[in-house]
Amino acid sequence: MIRTKKIESKPLNFFEKIYIIEVIRGFSVTLKHFFINLFFPSKIPTISYPEEKVLLPGNAKLKSRHRIKLRSDGTPKCVACMMCSTICPADCIHIEAAETETPVEKYPKVFNIDISKCVMCGLCVEACPEDAISMDTNEIAGGAYSRFSNFQKDGLFLTKNELFIKLKDEKISKLGAANRLENEYGERND
Amino acid sequence: MEEFIKILSPEYINLTLSNILLNHKNDIYLIIETVLKIAAFYGGIMSLAGLLTIGERKISALMQDRIGPNRANIFKFTLWGLFHPMADGIKMIMKEDFIPKNASKILFTIAPVISMVPVLVVFAFIPFGNYLDLGFYKINFIILDSDLSFFLLIAISSLAIYGTFLGGFSSGNNWGILGAIRAQAQMISYEVVVVLSVLPVIMIYSASSLSDLTLKQSGTILGIIPNWGIFVQPVSFLIFFTAALAENKRTPFDVVEGESEIIGYFIEHGSMRFAAFMFAEYVEIILFSMLASIFFFGGWQVPYLNDQGFNLGSFFIPINHYLIVLMQLASFALKTVFFSVLVIMIRWTLPRFRFDQIMRLCWANLLPISVLNLLLTALIIRGIK
Ligand code: SF4
Ligand code: SF4
Repeated sequence: MIRTKKIESKPLNFFEKIYIIEVIRGFSVTLKHFFINLFFPSKIPTISYPEEKVLLPGNAKLKSRHRIKLRSDGTPKCVACMMCSTICPADCIHIEAAETETPVEKYPKVFNIDISKCVMCGLCVEACPEDAISMDTNEIAGGAYSRFSNFQKDGLFLTKNELFIKLKDEKISKLGAANRLENEYGERND
Repeated sequence: MEEFIKILSPEYINLTLSNILLNHKNDIYLIIETVLKIAAFYGGIMSLAGLLTIGERKISALMQDRIGPNRANIFKFTLWGLFHPMADGIKMIMKEDFIPKNASKILFTIAPVISMVPVLVVFAFIPFGNYLDLGFYKINFIILDSDLSFFLLIAISSLAIYGTFLGGFSSGNNWGILGAIRAQAQMISYEVVVVLSVLPVIMIYSASSLSDLTLKQSGTILGIIPNWGIFVQPVSFLIFFTAALAENKRTPFDVVEGESEIIGYFIEHGSMRFAAFMFAEYVEIILFSMLASIFFFGGWQVPYLNDQGFNLGSFFIPINHYLIVLMQLASFALKTVFFSVLVIMIRWTLPRFRFDQIMRLCWANLLPISVLNLLLTALIIRGIK
């Protein structure tokens, strides 16, 4: 069955019909914006992006450029379990595992993320059992927010150098399965 | 032989030259004056048109809470985006000059020129100031003063339709032809209304040339209100303003271009050809602003200012002649810029009319009102006499 919806439009009254008053009303709106923006340019919400940076608003900062968290001694929390690269719908994470001397046993020798393919879905973060991969850098990969940005395409290809970083005044988290290892590992180190 | 040597001698040449100079002193002055006036006036118009292209983008940006173009720079100097017209020019020149296969080559090439020339020629009839008395010589601030200037103005400016029409028609593109047809219908209809709407003003001031019209708008009505067309014929002004906007194909009457649907008559024109159409549009805005200020806002007249100084009732301040000239020129420039900005602001405020609405507005509303206005004015003038 075709459902129809009848839209009732109000008939115009006399003043709307002669239009001049409506024109003046329209002008009062646009002129208000014009003069406010002319005399107080700081009220324009535009951010001059590469020069001017702000914190990403709202939840956008939970989906910023990836990084791999580090343990207190600077080794990556990642245990090269491949869960993130498996779940990744864009298939843009490339990991090569290697063995460590420590009881952690595995670590990623190569860890690449091709941000140009990434769809920023955040599934890798959800999947990670070690709370290692996270998207909390507050940077936009390849853009001015990124500390590695050169506005080139290769700025979008993240390797170990760009990924294994500590954020400023970051508290080392002991979340997830990493908790046990971290504690164990930390105790051994002491 | 001796005769010949005599003619070639420097003294003889000097003598003849100075004779020529003396005999044709006024002609030579006139030539120099005209060339200077053309350079100054057209230079002003061209730079204003260039500024309007960036002004349009800046104003629209400010009205929509944006910043507008501000990136073009020379050595990191952006000058609030003032380099953008230059950047546009360079970009347009560098682009490929393309003629579509179906286009009629000659018409396609000359259409942009045809759309530019009539608008530019018309400026010759526009008085942009009163006169400058240098003591030994008097300069009238009008390039070509003629008693017929009003009719010449209408005749020549109505040729602008050819550029628009041929541009769309010759491109061999259906959208272009659609734009051209719309342009024809719209511009020819509104031409009539524009002329009918300014006739009452011409009748009231009984002037045929534009300089005469401006001169007659001096003084005051009832001692307070400046004797300007707007106060004598407010209805005329509204009609003229609407009709001239439509004649210029500016929003809200821009179905001819219809950026969001048919792109219009210049759809196939690229590079400098397109720039010529665009530039003609901005020059038309300036022409429209100047005409609006001449017909309805006293042209170069400054309120209460006459040849000697400010004069309001018994109150009088004498002012230097050169200062008066400057004030008059500035007054004209100010009015022109004001109307140009107003036209731009209208574009970014009002939504576009449908084509049938445009036609109905012209033939069913504006035309009868302007004819009535004309008849009424004629009756009143007759009655007073
Ligand atoms: S955010 Fe999604 S697409 Fe990007 S790397 Fe993680 S899982 Fe892959
Ligand atoms: S899921 Fe976490 S621990 Fe596993 S490979 Fe990815 S980042 Fe490393």
